[in-house]
Amino acid sequence: MIDRRLFMKGTMGAAAAMGVGATLGGGFARPALAQEKTVTIGGSIPLSGRAAETGLNVHNGYLTAIKYINEELGGVEIGGEKVKLELQMVDDASDPARATTLIQRQLDDGIDFYLGSFGSNIVLPTAAIVDRAGKPMVQTGGGSDKIFTQGYKYVFGFYPRATRQFLSTAAFFGSLEPKAKSFSVVSTNDAFSKTFAEGAKNDCTAQGLTLLKEYELPAQITDTSSVLSSIRATPPDILVCTTHDQNSLLIARQMIASGTNVNLLYQALGPQLASYREALGKYANGITGATYWEPGVDFKDKIFGDTKTFEEYYRRNFDRPLAYHTAGGAACIVTYVTAMQNAGGLDPAKVRDALADIDIMTMYGPVKFTADGDADPLVMGAKVFQIQGSEPVIVFPGEAAMGKASYPTKPWGERT
Amino acid sequence: MLTQGIRRYRWWILASAVALVVLLFLPGLMSAFHTRVAQLILMSAGLALAWSILGGFSGYWSFGHTAFIGVGAFGAALLETKVDLGGPAANLVVGLLFAGLVSGVLALVIAYPLLRLRGIYFAIAMLGVSQVLGELVATLDWFQGSLGIVLPRLAPRDIEPQVFYYYLFLGLAVLTLVIGFAIKVGRIGYGLIAVREDEDTAAMMGVPTEAYKIFVFVISAVLTGMIGAAYAHSLGYITGESVFRVDFSLNMIVYALLGGIGTLAGPIIGAVIMVVLTQVLLGDLLDIHMLATGALLAVLVLLAPKGILGSVQGLLRSRRSPPRASKPAAGEAPP
Amino acid sequence: MTIFLQTLADGIVLGGIYSLAAVGFSLIFGVMGVVNLTHGIFVLCGAYGALIVWQGLGIDPLLGIPLVMAVLFVVGYAYQRTLISWAVARSSLLATLLLTFGVALMLRNIMVLVFSPDIQSITPSYAFSFFRIGALTFDLVRISALGASLALLLLLALVLNRTGLGRVIRATAQQELGARLCGVNVQHVYGLTFGVSAAFAGAAGVIIGIVLPFSPPDEVPWTINAFVVVVLGGIGSPAGALLGGLLLGVASTMTSAFIGPAFPNVMTFLILVLMLLLRPHGILGNAFAGSR
Repeated sequence: MIDRRLFMKGTMGAAAAMGVGATLGGGFARPALAQEKTVTIGGSIPLSGRAAETGLNVHNGYLTAIKYINEELGGVEIGGEKVKLELQMVDDASDPARATTLIQRQLDDGIDFYLGSFGSNIVLPTAAIVDRAGKPMVQTGGGSDKIFTQGYKYVFGFYPRATRQFLSTAAFFGSLEPKAKSFSVVSTNDAFSKTFAEGAKNDCTAQGLTLLKEYELPAQITDTSSVLSSIRATPPDILVCTTHDQNSLLIARQMIASGTNVNLLYQALGPQLASYREALGKYANGITGATYWEPGVDFKDKIFGDTKTFEEYYRRNFDRPLAYHTAGGAACIVTYVTAMQNAGGLDPAKVRDALADIDIMTMYGPVKFTADGDADPLVMGAKVFQIQGSEPVIVFPGEAAMGKASYPTKPWGERT
Repeated sequence: MLTQGIRRYRWWILASAVALVVLLFLPGLMSAFHTRVAQLILMSAGLALAWSILGGFSGYWSFGHTAFIGVGAFGAALLETKVDLGGPAANLVVGLLFAGLVSGVLALVIAYPLLRLRGIYFAIAMLGVSQVLGELVATLDWFQGSLGIVLPRLAPRDIEPQVFYYYLFLGLAVLTLVIGFAIKVGRIGYGLIAVREDEDTAAMMGVPTEAYKIFVFVISAVLTGMIGAAYAHSLGYITGESVFRVDFSLNMIVYALLGGIGTLAGPIIGAVIMVVLTQVLLGDLLDIHMLATGALLAVLVLLAPKGILGSVQGLLRSRRSPPRASKPAAGEAPP
Repeated sequence: MTIFLQTLADGIVLGGIYSLAAVGFSLIFGVMGVVNLTHGIFVLCGAYGALIVWQGLGIDPLLGIPLVMAVLFVVGYAYQRTLISWAVARSSLLATLLLTFGVALMLRNIMVLVFSPDIQSITPSYAFSFFRIGALTFDLVRISALGASLALLLLLALVLNRTGLGRVIRATAQQELGARLCGVNVQHVYGLTFGVSAAFAGAAGVIIGIVLPFSPPDEVPWTINAFVVVVLGGIGSPAGALLGGLLLGVASTMTSAFIGPAFPNVMTFLILVLMLLLRPHGILGNAFAGSR
């Protein structure tokens, strides 16, 4: 039989282990130096697992802004004091239980300001905790409508809610010359892709396009040959893929390698990555995607001065190619700092009010939130870019455009 | 047999009761983070115990127990969002019971054909079942597995959610432990040990192996389903991905093996160690926490191959001489 | 009809890749009864190996197959002779499950550190070419993948059935004790089996790397796929893996075309469960250790 003693040891072991945790957890918050005030910003980010590539990009954005503030500016002036910033991010590995536990530790350690994770099923449970604790969270990783309809007061997102994200892209499709008539939608079985696809169907239909077919795929795909056969049989003018990076690349590759041509291929995620463009080479030219920022568009910024300085500073310090997620991450910090300055101090509730009122220009572009906390779709909505000469070129909306969209795009075999 | 069991394990039970009293007062003494870690430990221990009722006692290792977490979670979530049950208390009780019921019915349906498979084949079949269900929940719109479901709030406004869920998971873990104990010391427990050691011989000796196996399979599923529903509530928002996770299935096995399989204390010890390690000690290691966890698992397999209980027992036994060769009955020592 | 034929052809092409990716897993399971959860990692190692060969050395990734196989053979042999055999000696076969799971976690993390979590792709010049036969379209790189898979499976079948090494491996699988009595160094044979398995997983990885974009978390689906293929076809033989893989491939594309593109995974696992219930030893059956 199991020894009774052993069982007792088990339960006492539990208590002891928690004790160990207590001591270790206690040493977590580092005391600020006496003469220098430091504000810590916490949060979790996926650095392993499926979302790690984007997680790393966002994380680099945070790091860039904080490094610049501390090393180049020697801190920022908040409420009459010079303040330095400290970043304490943990890897949540896209596991909601892990994320909530680790966020709770940061709350216990007295961290007052949070950045968000990536993926709505992580962002929402963590948002619930920080909102209940009355601490603000600014995130660039969750766009699901459900995050912004819970009545949270402290949670702000850098993207418009998912159902509003497609408006500007649909307007782009409507503006094409010669007129595009039909479209098909490819989506996968996850919250982001599915909501986005709903938005795409509604908004494109409103633009007068006809929906030919919709294809729903499993969340992870290894083969799309049968979907592509169907597309070859009934080709739409525009193929809209609301898929994640790896799936998008797979679809594009298989389209090229099976001679599946459409007048325009649009992929919500994927084309913004340098690795995607590199993998497809000349075939990438003509593919369109959504972006919230591109290098080369110059905005004024309170911290960096302008976008160009940000880009140069990033390239001096990091090897990874710049992605819009990186710029978004840096802009989260700029937004936080501005809100703290406007609030005149570090009281979380006052900073929250300042965030709600914020209406500024950053190196990422203008930042303004709706009353529900998601990004204002008119101010921060997606821009459409097309890959031209292996570089992303913003083609819509007109005021931000750096070039003109080519439509219809050439068949794969004729691309140069 | 139950009374005998209780008498035999009276000190053991007394110790558990003392531990329970301590656990009841702990949240008042702990910070919110430690309460949350404790909540996760209790959930993991409950899950590992529920898995052990089948896998540890009968030797039928399920690689897909997350199927029942998911079915319980979505069962409760769908019931509570589609039907107005009339308030948080009703949601809690009816939701959990419904989750247990759905999981139990599912287990009952698949029990007979699946439990004819043995060893690794049963394990793989359960993996398949969990994948089928996970995919279906994500694919069929009615289940809302891809868009996700926001669950109604259970915790009253004036109670911190982590404290509320601490007690909920504590209750479920205790329930699982008590049921596990009753099964272990009862006739079924001995029958299952016989099944684990040699199923054909057991059947020949008149042990109703089929009925016993189905019984513990269903019990294990019901308990797992209820814990799954509680987990869903503690997150507040679930998608198929957050409950149908292969790592849940694997973790249950890891905890049980680590502590000592076939025992009741083992899964608890395993859960405590692994959760503390992954969430507390290694939580800060930004990009090498998986490396550390994996290395630790490998080291444990090599240094404590019979689980922690087994190794401790081995140590104790080797100190006494001569070794008690005849004493322990089958199944008492961890396999 | 065109759609049907096209779907069938696509399924067979996909199935060839599944077969090769699963055959090593099947061999280890058949000979030793070890469920190797590190299998998907071996596959990804092959893909990353191909990436290095292609980007670093500028050699066509397909030509890198022998090199990748040689490296992984050594790794597999060493892995069995150290960690795996220690674990089996100290506790049980089932403990290897935990061990291989732990090692997989470690290696996945190391991959993230070494290669970054980014999605990688290998695109040699022929990666985007295709040809048409009648109304059917064939993706050149997938067809060459199928060809390479078949060639390698045939090679493995020859090794197992026609060489001394193969005879010893089969003997050990059938009866370890008997083999030992005949003077076979069983530990060495186990090591060789693991080496062969890892080498073939690596070869599959090279091919997968050319066909699909990949990133470190992809190891999990390749381990699970191997499970399914093994159960479908039967354990321990290249023929079983080939049959299982082809069935899996065709079932996937057929489901996608005629039931709905969201359903191939559901169907795959449904087939898995049904197969287990109706014919647990796979279509071909076998006389290997792991199935008894």
